[in-house]
Amino acid sequence: MTTTEKQRTHGMNMGALNRDAGSSELKLSRETSCISVKDMSLYYGESQALKNISMEIPKNRVTAFIGPSGCGKSTLLRSFNRMNDLIDGVTIKGEVNIDNQNIYDRKVDVADLRRRVGMVFQKPNPFPKSIYENVAYGLRIQGINNRRILDESVEWALRSAAIWDETKDRLHESALGMSGGQQQRLVIARTIAVKPEILLLDEPASALDPISTLKIEELIHDLKDRFSIVIVTHNMQQAARVSDFTAFMYLGEMVEYDNTDTLFTNPAKKQTEDYITGRYG
Amino acid sequence: MNTESSALERELNSEKSRRRRKFRHFADGFTRYGIGAGGLGVIVAISLIFFYLVYEVVPLFQNASIEEIAEYRVDSQQTGEQTLRLVAEEQNEIFARITDAGKVHFISVETGRVLESLSMPLNGQQITSISPTIAGQDTLALGLSDGQVLQIDISFRVEFDDLGNRIGVAPRLSYPYGKEPLQLDVEGRSLNYLTRQKTRDGFVLGGLVAEGKPVILKVRARENMMTGEVTLREERAQLPTDQHYQKLLFSDDHFYTFAARADGKLDVFSSRNLNSIEKMQEAQIVPEGERITQIRFQLGNESLLIGDSLGQISQWIIARTDQGKGPRQLVNIRTLKLGDQPIEVLEPEHRRKGFVAVDSQGRTGIYNTTAENQVIDTYLLDHHPVAAVISPRASLLILEDSRGSFLTYAVDNPHPETSAKSLWGKVWYEGYDQPEYIWQSSGADNDYEPKFSITPLALGTLKAAFYAMLLSVPLAICGAMYTAYFMAPAVRKKVKPVIELMEALPTVILGFFAGLFLAPFFEMHMPGLFALLLLMPLGLVAFGFAWAQLPDKLRYLVPDGWHVILLVPVVLFIGWFSFEVSQPLEVLFFGGDMRSWLSNDLGITYDQRNAIVVGFAMGFAVIPTIYSIAEDALFGVPKSLSHGSLALGATAWQTLIYVILPTASPGIFSAVMIGMGRAVGETMIVLMATGNTPVMNFNIFEGMRTLAANIAVEMGESAVDSTHYRILFLAALVLFGFTFVVNTLAELVRQRLRKKYSTL
Repeated sequence: MTTTEKQRTHGMNMGALNRDAGSSELKLSRETSCISVKDMSLYYGESQALKNISMEIPKNRVTAFIGPSGCGKSTLLRSFNRMNDLIDGVTIKGEVNIDNQNIYDRKVDVADLRRRVGMVFQKPNPFPKSIYENVAYGLRIQGINNRRILDESVEWALRSAAIWDETKDRLHESALGMSGGQQQRLVIARTIAVKPEILLLDEPASALDPISTLKIEELIHDLKDRFSIVIVTHNMQQAARVSDFTAFMYLGEMVEYDNTDTLFTNPAKKQTEDYITGRYG
Repeated sequence: MNTESSALERELNSEKSRRRRKFRHFADGFTRYGIGAGGLGVIVAISLIFFYLVYEVVPLFQNASIEEIAEYRVDSQQTGEQTLRLVAEEQNEIFARITDAGKVHFISVETGRVLESLSMPLNGQQITSISPTIAGQDTLALGLSDGQVLQIDISFRVEFDDLGNRIGVAPRLSYPYGKEPLQLDVEGRSLNYLTRQKTRDGFVLGGLVAEGKPVILKVRARENMMTGEVTLREERAQLPTDQHYQKLLFSDDHFYTFAARADGKLDVFSSRNLNSIEKMQEAQIVPEGERITQIRFQLGNESLLIGDSLGQISQWIIARTDQGKGPRQLVNIRTLKLGDQPIEVLEPEHRRKGFVAVDSQGRTGIYNTTAENQVIDTYLLDHHPVAAVISPRASLLILEDSRGSFLTYAVDNPHPETSAKSLWGKVWYEGYDQPEYIWQSSGADNDYEPKFSITPLALGTLKAAFYAMLLSVPLAICGAMYTAYFMAPAVRKKVKPVIELMEALPTVILGFFAGLFLAPFFEMHMPGLFALLLLMPLGLVAFGFAWAQLPDKLRYLVPDGWHVILLVPVVLFIGWFSFEVSQPLEVLFFGGDMRSWLSNDLGITYDQRNAIVVGFAMGFAVIPTIYSIAEDALFGVPKSLSHGSLALGATAWQTLIYVILPTASPGIFSAVMIGMGRAVGETMIVLMATGNTPVMNFNIFEGMRTLAANIAVEMGESAVDSTHYRILFLAALVLFGFTFVVNTLAELVRQRLRKKYSTL
């Protein structure tokens, strides 16, 4: 496959993107990569959950991680904003660079890292507060209490998350009264309200009904102009629908990482092909 | 495949599995109703306790009743004798009637039959007056027309036969100072009024002769130790006055002399020293133009009951005016009203601070002065009253009217001492300079005025709970926050059970320790204690700050969540240091004795067993309760919420304060409330560590007496079904009410919070 083909299929500038012969990894240049993982391994106590992962995640694109349950895709996602730190006995080797800074460096302010690398979880987790306060929470903890700024940001975030019309009349009602799909979009609004650079979505639609899922997918499509998005999903159709690039993982290893179309139509590895054709997983 | 499934089908449809399903159905229903019955049982049990308390308390507030037993005329009346005095006895079988003919008739209460009539040796004189009955003194003085006084004792004894069967009550008339009368008025004038009071070593007689002139004779009796012979030493005195008096009374030991005038004034004399009797005061008892109709001592001879022509009975005591700073004076502590007719008869009860008053129209009131309670108000007579007597147990009232009819009444008045005011309000007790809240339920003798104010006990309960909560709430909740949120799971697994184990410590041990070790230790090391309270938080914060300044290499040696171990030596050091500097601090700032500095320079009362000790000991007892529930609540906040907050860039602290705490607030709130309920009801610690003084303040250096401790202390010494006994039940009911209200409010608030912060 050549770069011109990619350009045609996606209508994007993939000039900096090229493929290593004999390797399944995509190489991106500094400007186009937002996360650069170098030879990272992760251990839960004794057992190794991620094995020497190296990859570049492109800016302002949607990158999907697929793979069978327990393959490490969520673990990899969570290592991008150090959520794995919260789990006891996790050790990490290698580097994860964001903005040329290894986020596992001791000098890194984890709280600020997590503001820049936002995360949405599988299950909607709005705080037991009003809709408005849920969205304003991230700003308030940054010390922003100016009512006007908050109002504007909340509206912006809710509009961006395509939920403004449903919520504008009930901003001060509890967020717990919303449906699951609405809650998940609210959580996305809450995450983007603090203006992160990268959005990590950990199976964001797996707990939702098909219509809500569709809305989330449309939302992801709308958001990718402004954010670099990494999404973990076990739904291959979803990965094919929303992502520009897809990584297939298996047993903690990055088996194949490629342009989504390529990966689904012409996988380089036998394992990938088996998985996407439904032979296992 | 087919056979397998049909085998399964057979199994499913077999008799055995049908029976199993039936049993399962039955067990399901049984469990449902069993659990329901259990829950209902708990409610029923609590309701029963509540109703039992109410059942014991209700009689306190029931009205007294009075019921006529009999009305009769007694035989001796045909002779035209006039009743001077009636004397009743404890068994309500016999009463004595002393008449102006010099006779004592013993009469059956039931029938009015005269059982025995005795004549007194009067040497041909007339009885002109008789001294008022004083509860607890059997001796009566009779004033004769020649200025002489004859003293008699009327006593009653229950007699048994040889087999121990009760025969009946035997009356006895005796002459304790011989049959020979004493000459009270040397001039031999007729005694129109007579009063008698006992003194430490004898008695004092007072009489009014013609024109209301007082004569006083003090007699000291001395018993010869060898022969048993009694010699009397007489001493006469004059009042420095030329007023005409109508009535005369002496206080105990003849300290004061009270003399009532016709114009409604009462002169008070200081008569401690017979040679220099001084007039202290001229008290206006009733308004101009009204009369003092009756004047008697209330039980205990501490206060005067004065009946007047307005139908009022007022109680007066000698007290320091001006909140205890002024001179001693006769002051009115309360006024009770019967009607608007003059009070003709005033009879104090023998064992309680109660009395019976009858006005000229026969309207009868029974009162209790402490409670300012009128328990009976009814017309018992159609005619003017002549004499009245209430039996020593206050269960029989005998009235004689001007037509010569005797009426006997059964009085059921078990609890006159309780009123809203005596239980909750300020009461002016005898012997006090102003109205006060006092709990002092019993004294050494029958004369004692019981002081049943629950207010200081309720306040003491709140005080103890307040100081316990002051210590325990911050410690327990902060501890719970740290354990649930920051502590490494491995440490938490050890720490939490250990703190919860503290709950199993018997409170009697805590109380014992607090009372016998902590109290004297704190007294010895008071500056150290305050240094500890100040240095401990400061020291911990300072240590935290210093730790953060250490080089990373050193800091990363301690894994997250294990830092608390580092604090152990710090806490120990601060504790040791605080008490080590106690002595020097005391010398430096308080002249070597902080306790005397507190009481002398600041005027703060210091008790060794005080609220600080209780705060520590009970706080220690309450910490595990609050900690355990609060920790569960905090730990139970879904991880998804804290992860959501952390993923937004919040620090751990921000997450804790803005997300975890609000979400766990219903649980934390109920933890505090359950702790409070425990502190309010806690008995052994406050019993042993407070000194049990019912004080009315929040002074941290003074003790308190709580409702629970009070019940524990006094249950054993109260007679079953007495007023005291029932008031203890009332205290229990109040305590029950306290915890009930606190818990109900807590539950309501908790439900609201839970609704607000319910998690998915």
